Formats: sequence, structure tokens, C-alpha cells
Amino acid sequence: MTTYSKLVDVTVCTGCRACMVACKNWNDLPVETQAYSGGYQSHEKPTGKTWNVLQMKEHETANGGFEWLYRHSACYHCADAACEKVCPEGAITYGEFGSVDIDQEACVGCSYCVYNCPFDIVELADYVTEDGDVRQRAQKCTLCEDRLQEGLQPSCVDTCPLDAIVFGEREEMLKLAEERLEKAKQFFPNAQIYNPPGVGGTKMFYVLADKPSVYGLPENPEVPTSAVLWKDIAQPAGKALLGVTMMGVLTGYVTNKLFNKGEHHEEGGEVDESKHG
Amino acid sequence: MMELSRRQFLKLSGATAATLAVVELGFDPKKAQAESNEFKIAHSEVTPTICPYCSVGCGILVHVKDGDVVYTEGDPDHPINRGTLCPKGNGIRQLYTSEKRVERPKYRAPGSTEWEEVDWDWALGRIAENVKKTRDESFVVEEDGMTVNHTEAIANLGGAALENEEVYMIQKLMRGLGLTYIEHQARI
Repeated sequence: MTTYSKLVDVTVCTGCRACMVACKNWNDLPVETQAYSGGYQSHEKPTGKTWNVLQMKEHETANGGFEWLYRHSACYHCADAACEKVCPEGAITYGEFGSVDIDQEACVGCSYCVYNCPFDIVELADYVTEDGDVRQRAQKCTLCEDRLQEGLQPSCVDTCPLDAIVFGEREEMLKLAEERLEKAKQFFPNAQIYNPPGVGGTKMFYVLADKPSVYGLPENPEVPTSAVLWKDIAQPAGKALLGVTMMGVLTGYVTNKLFNKGEHHEEGGEVDESKHG
Repeated sequence: MMELSRRQFLKLSGATAATLAVVELGFDPKKAQAESNEFKIAHSEVTPTICPYCSVGCGILVHVKDGDVVYTEGDPDHPINRGTLCPKGNGIRQLYTSEKRVERPKYRAPGSTEWEEVDWDWALGRIAENVKKTRDESFVVEEDGMTVNHTEAIANLGGAALENEEVYMIQKLMRGLGLTYIEHQARI
């Protein structure tokens, strides 16, 4: 099956933040004010109401010079996603275009995904229920799956004036990443592709100008062992056991009622009879 | 094994079906849910426009639905930006949707600290009166023995949303009035 990916070539990014605004515009996300952090960066990291944030890192080069390291940060859409594994409601699934989706109807806001995301991306956001109560649920980049289904590109991709963000079939994107890397190496000797295998590769992957740690990215992000144990071993076993138990209990209950009817009659248990009418 | 009556058999079957439903062997309602949500810009009226901010003049498509601007995006057919936009142009939707948008002309009288709402006719009339008055008072026909026919008391500032033809018209009008301070926002 064809799978898709978003390639972010941060070596050509100028840090204009058009991707941030386009995301807010398409997804109707509200303004989120945060305290001034002392730099040029607007928000600290992606949140439930700001799905992508342009990171601006001040970096000293090897020869003592100064350069900006810009990075479009949003959900990485891991092929082997920790959030999908830990979600107790099964609200997180893989979309047909390679995205990791959170079903907003099913999410109960337990924040397991928030604590288990290796990239610290997904967060809870407030919403108002039909009854007017304020509740929380996990929100993050959807890879604009609604746009993809209509044959459009994600809004951040569409708007990027420098083609730093590109979306397409994964094989093509991997090839393009290699080409971009070749070009980047002329200016950035440490340039590399960031597509960490610890999470099965990511459907949003980078061409970085330097080591991931320089950007504040985990070098080898992994799905937490507890998440693997929970999803791949404990949960299927638990489900099977639950099924067996439920069957056992219900069958037992029904057969008990059916075949012990006589005794109830002897005891004068007319109530049971009317219930099962 | 005890004998089962027809009634008892049905009860047992019912219980089995109910149990299976409980242990999640049912259908998937998520898919049906996703298909029922309408695409955000489906059936929207699309109007092309030019970004009002800088001198690049990017093309923008404005999506209007039920009398409200639901989305704005770079015009993919526009030769200048080819579908892309900068963050400022991307935020153009707020020109219409923002609560802070000024929808009517406002007037602050000389010496006053308050803005009051006025209608367009009054505002344009007042501007015309003041232009005529200022020009007549400050018009210089001759300076240092040279015919200049100008006024230095009025300045004009154009905006990036103006197109070639509009700028030409403004230039004609302002030169006709004798202005020398003619500038453009996108040059600042």
C-alpha cells in the first residue's frame, strides 16, 4: 500500500512562520498567548491549540560565527506510535495517508498519550461540551487529513514559500530528502536526515543542518517499553480474558436462570418470572 | 445434558449475541462518523484578491460560506506567489473576522480625545473641504523667480493593495492638486 510523508528541509527554512499561521487558519485554532520567553520564538512548543511551532535556535558555529537554526515542529506521525499504543480508548489510529489521528469523539482526555509521546508534542486542549461544561481532550496536527482526502496538500505544505515543507509518496520523499541532503552538505557538513527508526520511522521527517541534539531533538527516540508491553501483550491478553470471562458469566447466569427455574418456583420467586417474561 | 425448549434456545442465542457485542466484535462507527463531516471549504464561494500588505502583491483566494470568510489561501494560479503565502498574508482572514475591525469611518474632532462614528458621505465631504481649504491657503505659484505651482502642506500615501491603474489615477489627481510629497506604503 502506498504510504505518504511530509518532508521538512530545515536547511532552506527562513523561519517566516507561515506554516504556523496557515495551520491556525485551516484548523480554526484560537489565539494562544504565552509569556515572552526572551527570544524571537513565539511559542515554546506545540500545544493542543497551536499544532505547529517554528523553533528558533541560536547556534554558534565551529568557527565562532552565529547562525539561526529554524525548525518546523509538529506531530511526527510515527509509523510505530507510542500514543497509539497507550490510548486506553483506542481513540488513536493510523490514517490512510500515514497520519496518526486522534478521534475527538472517543478521546476522554486521560493524557496517557501526552506522557508517552517521545517528542513531547501532543497536549490536551479545553473544549466546551453540548451541556456547556469545559472538558479536555488531546489535540495535535492531523496532517490535514481532511484536505488530503479532497486531493489537496496539508495547509503548511501549500503555503511554504520556500518549498521547505513537501508532501508526497514516502518513497519519493525519501529520494528527495537524499537530494536535498546532498545540497545541504555543501553548506552544512553535519547535515543529516532525521527519520528515527526507534519509532518505526516518522511520517514527518527532517533534513537537518546539524546533529539532532543541536536542535534539541532526541537522538534515538523510542516507544516506551511499558507502552509496548501494554499494547502488544497485556491488552490483547486482557481483551481475550475479558471476552472469555464475560461469556462465562453471562452463559452461567442465563443457564442458571433457565435450569433452576423450578427451584425458584418452589421458593415462590414470582419476581424472577416477571423479569424474564 | 438437559433438554432445551425453543424458548430457552432463543434466550441462550440472544445472550451470546449480546456478549459478543460487548467484547468489541461489532462494526466500526468511526468511519461513518468521518464521512458525515463536511469538508470545510465545500460549497464555498471563492473570490480572488490581492494581498494588501507589501509590494510583492501575492494572489489570495477568499473562501466565503454563509456570509462568513471561512478560509483564505494563496492563489495557486497566481504567477507571483503560486499558492504560497507569508505569515502576514496568511492572516488576512482576520481583516474580516477580527473583533477589532473598524467597520465605519471614525472622526476625532480637533482637541477632542474621543472617536465618534460618522457616515461615509460626511467623512468624504470633510476630507474634500479640508483638501481644498489647505491647498488654497498654501498654494505657491512662484518661488525664487521660478514657476512652481505646488503645495507642501499636503502629503499622499499609497497602499500596496492599489493596482497600477489606481496608482496612475491617484498620481494624476495629486499632481493636479500640486502635491510634491507623494509616497507609497510599500516603499517604507
